[in-house]
Amino acid sequence: MGKAFKTGNLILLCLLLTFILAAIGTVLVRGLPDLPATFKAPPTLFAARLSLVTSLASTALCLVVAAPVAYALARYRLPGKGLLASALRIPLTLPPIVSGVCLLLLFGTTGFGEALTRLGLRFVFSVPGIIIAQFFVNVPSLLTVLKAAIEAVDVRLEYVARTLGCSPAKAFTGVTLPLVKNGLVAGIILTWSKAMGEFGAVLMLAGATRFKTETLPISLYLNMSTGDLEAVMAVATLLILLSLTSLTIFERLGARLGQPATGEANKA
Amino acid sequence: MVRQAALRLQGINKRLGNFHLKDLSLEIGPGEYFVLLGPTGAGKTLLLEIIAGIHPVDTGEIWLGGVNLTHLPPEKRRCGFVYQDYALFPHLTVRKNIAFGLKVNRVPAPEAEKRVEEMAALLGITHLLSRFPRTLSGGEQQRVALARALVIKPQVLLLDEPLAALDPRTKEALQRELQRLHRATGTLTVHVTHDFEEAFFLADRLGIIDHGELLQVGSPQEIFSRPSSARVAAFLGTENIYRSEVTYTDGKAFVRLGQALLEVETSLRGPVGISIRPEAIILSSRPQTRNCLAARVLTIHRRGLFLKVAVEAAGEKLTVLVPPREAESFAQAGDGRVYCCIPPAAINTFPS
Repeated sequence: MGKAFKTGNLILLCLLLTFILAAIGTVLVRGLPDLPATFKAPPTLFAARLSLVTSLASTALCLVVAAPVAYALARYRLPGKGLLASALRIPLTLPPIVSGVCLLLLFGTTGFGEALTRLGLRFVFSVPGIIIAQFFVNVPSLLTVLKAAIEAVDVRLEYVARTLGCSPAKAFTGVTLPLVKNGLVAGIILTWSKAMGEFGAVLMLAGATRFKTETLPISLYLNMSTGDLEAVMAVATLLILLSLTSLTIFERLGARLGQPATGEANKA
Repeated sequence: MVRQAALRLQGINKRLGNFHLKDLSLEIGPGEYFVLLGPTGAGKTLLLEIIAGIHPVDTGEIWLGGVNLTHLPPEKRRCGFVYQDYALFPHLTVRKNIAFGLKVNRVPAPEAEKRVEEMAALLGITHLLSRFPRTLSGGEQQRVALARALVIKPQVLLLDEPLAALDPRTKEALQRELQRLHRATGTLTVHVTHDFEEAFFLADRLGIIDHGELLQVGSPQEIFSRPSSARVAAFLGTENIYRSEVTYTDGKAFVRLGQALLEVETSLRGPVGISIRPEAIILSSRPQTRNCLAARVLTIHRRGLFLKVAVEAAGEKLTVLVPPREAESFAQAGDGRVYCCIPPAAINTFPS
């Protein structure tokens, strides 16, 4: 009985693994040989460049916003903090395409959107729209990673730093920040690779226009609809390699992230 | 060293989570070693963090000499803080941990280095300077935490259960170390602990704190022999606590214990509480003249080097601690009949 249970579980594990590897492998096998050639094609080159620029910009924006918010959630006594944290996680649970619709309406049809347009800030069907869409979808996950990392650092380390002469900001940069370094790097890589692959929200807000809002996933989508399968494979291969690389880095840093940053005194 | 000022807490009230400090007032003299003694959860750590400025008070004021600290942030108060588990910065070497406060306060590098070296030498941790905190033993970490707090020449040194996580031998060594450091630096020190021995060894003066209330302040001797309330007496392990009243006959004061009247040294009148330390009571096989009651032995247990004897006298139960040899003399009598003598000076009275 017990043996059959174990065998059954292991067989399913093997099947699942085969399924995943087969699906990815098919694309890699067909896409890898064409990769260098496709990469010289102007559309792919444009898409790669645009993806890189927008993903870096949105990651930077995520970081600038998420770090202070994560600190506030981790350290301050706020009324209804649990509810607040949940509300900030909403974009994480929405289908990205729905997030895209929300953003499209906010920036397109409301007074807020019109006011921004009058100021020369156009987010609908534009490159800034790509950045905003990536930001909206990705900021909750970075927030979650950073909040967990800050909470893992004993707040009394900051207290001691304060008594030694640090302002609150200096206590953060001098003590907490170095201790959350791994979490920070892991979070940035996660955010960046998700931004590189973001499709639904970008499609809705920024549209899919060749040589204008054509990021790598959008390029893949456009190539698919025109039947250029070689280009599809090449772009898909590129995105798979990117994801695998960032997954590896994230897992490695994540493993070290799990170690306590402090409070080790008693174990010594 | 720096000229020192007294630390004065006036009517401190603070609620934080489950803790509530109630109308706490206290004055600690310049250079004094003050120990706050109280059970776990009494609000001791909270009080230290309030002195350091980590939590603002709800009401009340904190003064250091002529300076009102109440609304100053921690970085302006110059309080050195040492936590029970040391809270060393794990990403910095011992040297950088100690130098942290000097660097923040922009002390020039050559002087900072000199002060770190001096402080390390004072604490005997020079050989550890290039190590990381996680590679140190508890006692070593404690010395580093002390060095880090003292190197900034704090006006006040705050120690939160600094010896609680150490094994008994290291603890004793560090206890002497704290005494030596205090004599060397003369820094006003507030040390909180739940350990009597530690408190009595180190304290110039003691405060007993429980449930956020400061119950009594005085010299260790005074608090030990003259607790001012039943709560303090009970916390100090005095098992003989009774309700009583003081009466005067021929100008002499007496308190009632069960059916007996005992001579006592007190200035109180009327209803009082009394406490008698178990080691101050004398058991003997023969009656003596003053405050001597016929008693019956109920139980005898070993407690450390002493025997804990429960006796009944005048209708009350008393606990007595006696050395084993002394116990033999009355145990031989066999029938459990002894005499229980309570010196008048050993009876502590407090308002009930």
